[in-house]
Amino acid sequence: MKKGMQIVLCVTLLSSLTFASEQFAMSDADRAMYEELLENNPADMMLAEGSEFLDELGGESALAKYLGVSEDALPSYIAGFPRYIEKFKMVVSIDQMLQGMMHDSGQKPYALKSSEMFNMSSYVKALANDEEINIDVNANKHMKEAYALGKVVFETKRGARGLSCLSCHNPSVIGGILRTQPLPDISAKGNASAATWPAYRMTKSALATLQKRFQGCMNNALLAVIPLGSKEMTALEVYFTDEAKGATIALPGLKR
Amino acid sequence: MKKSLTLSLLLGVSLLAADYSGVIEVPDASKIIEKDLLAPVGIYKMPKGCITDDPKAIARGSFMFHNLNGENAKGEAPEGLKKVDAHGKNKQYGNCVACHNIEGAIGGGNIGPDLTAYNDVYVKSGIRDHQFVYQKTADPRVDNPNTNMTVNLTTKLFNEREICDITSYILSPK
Ligand code: HEC
Ligand code: HEC
Repeated sequence: MKKGMQIVLCVTLLSSLTFASEQFAMSDADRAMYEELLENNPADMMLAEGSEFLDELGGESALAKYLGVSEDALPSYIAGFPRYIEKFKMVVSIDQMLQGMMHDSGQKPYALKSSEMFNMSSYVKALANDEEINIDVNANKHMKEAYALGKVVFETKRGARGLSCLSCHNPSVIGGILRTQPLPDISAKGNASAATWPAYRMTKSALATLQKRFQGCMNNALLAVIPLGSKEMTALEVYFTDEAKGATIALPGLKR
Repeated sequence: MKKSLTLSLLLGVSLLAADYSGVIEVPDASKIIEKDLLAPVGIYKMPKGCITDDPKAIARGSFMFHNLNGENAKGEAPEGLKKVDAHGKNKQYGNCVACHNIEGAIGGGNIGPDLTAYNDVYVKSGIRDHQFVYQKTADPRVDNPNTNMTVNLTTKLFNEREICDITSYILSPK
């Protein structure tokens, strides 16, 4: 899947890891695993399964029709999620949109946290591979509100250690070392997180969506974990996606 | 004719406009976040006898400084410190090394300043005093509202005595 892009990404990632001083570079065993997995990202299989689930709903053409766009325009439309969808009367992520589509096709929607939904929504986001993220946070008042809420959630200090996402993801600490881990840049200028998630996480041996990754940081930093699909989670995804606006989508990612 | 057509169209639309709130999962997170919010900055006066050269207190302070939590910590916890909290749950420690280098740090971070030889570098030179280290560990927002550091007493992650143990450790000769 899109080998060229993956290689570009891997070079950037490897060089940033090397840059983070030798003491903190990946161990030889980790690096060997990383290089092997880059050749053959285990998430490819999971996305292939997701593709079959979408086929049960009629595949890409049915999806395009459901979203009211032409099949040609579908990838670029997907690259704009999360979106406000008039029919739903809310800003939704891809997985939530798929719940609506499953329901309207007479199927019981997969739960947001199910592996079926992870696989299918990741596949759908990967339809936008090679597209640039084109989220429009000023498209309407709902998107404006979602962005504003996402920024608040990002910056709110909470939890047993009184940290916010911003504590560890702000320009003054990017590249700094937090217990052997270089702090990543989530913006389009750096890592462009929203363009590289869903990703296969080597440390978890699992496919994770961006929202699932948010939960990982909440858990590690002792912020109460908020549920997938909540208004606040979707808003956080809107915020992260806007940070990566213009970055080229390359999925599935491969992460630590 | 026209009127009834518009009316039936409108009706049709409103009948067709499905409510997706029972279809799409949108769980409530606002209450979770509200309960989790950080209290306003706490100003704390160091209690009497806080800073000590008692090796047991320093050992506890060191353990809390270098470890993330009880489950994660290798070896026995020093005398007077448990690996579980009052509810029998995994006790959280300071994990200060995540951000600070100090003598003997393994995998120390560099988000915060290096606290190596703290007493010699910062205190004997007159830049800092014991009260400052106590307050900074308890609630670092006191001199920097936008600090990236963890809040340790206002959050009740630790009690006063534990903050004193950690502070004693930072100030101790190593
Ligand atoms: C105490 C520090 C800390 C806090 C607080 C924190 N993070 Fe992180 N975050 C990290 C570190 C370190 C990494 C990189 C870890 C790795 O790659 O294994 C990371 C990685 C991430 C990534 C993946 C970046 C990428 O593209 O690979 C996302 C997304 C993320 N964090 C989101 C959040 C959100 C959302 C919050 C708040 C709810 C948050 N983080 C709070 C330290 C933190
Ligand atoms: C997530 C990062 C982080 C963690 C964890 C952290 N600190 Fe800090 N610390 C900082 C930063 C950043 C500063 C710089 C001052 C500021 O921004 O408030 C600092 C400053 C300090 C200072 C003041 C140094 C001086 O004299 O100027 C002390 C003392 C200190 N930290 C102790 C601790 C202790 C004790 C712990 C654990 C209980 C801890 N820190 C955990 C980031 C951190």
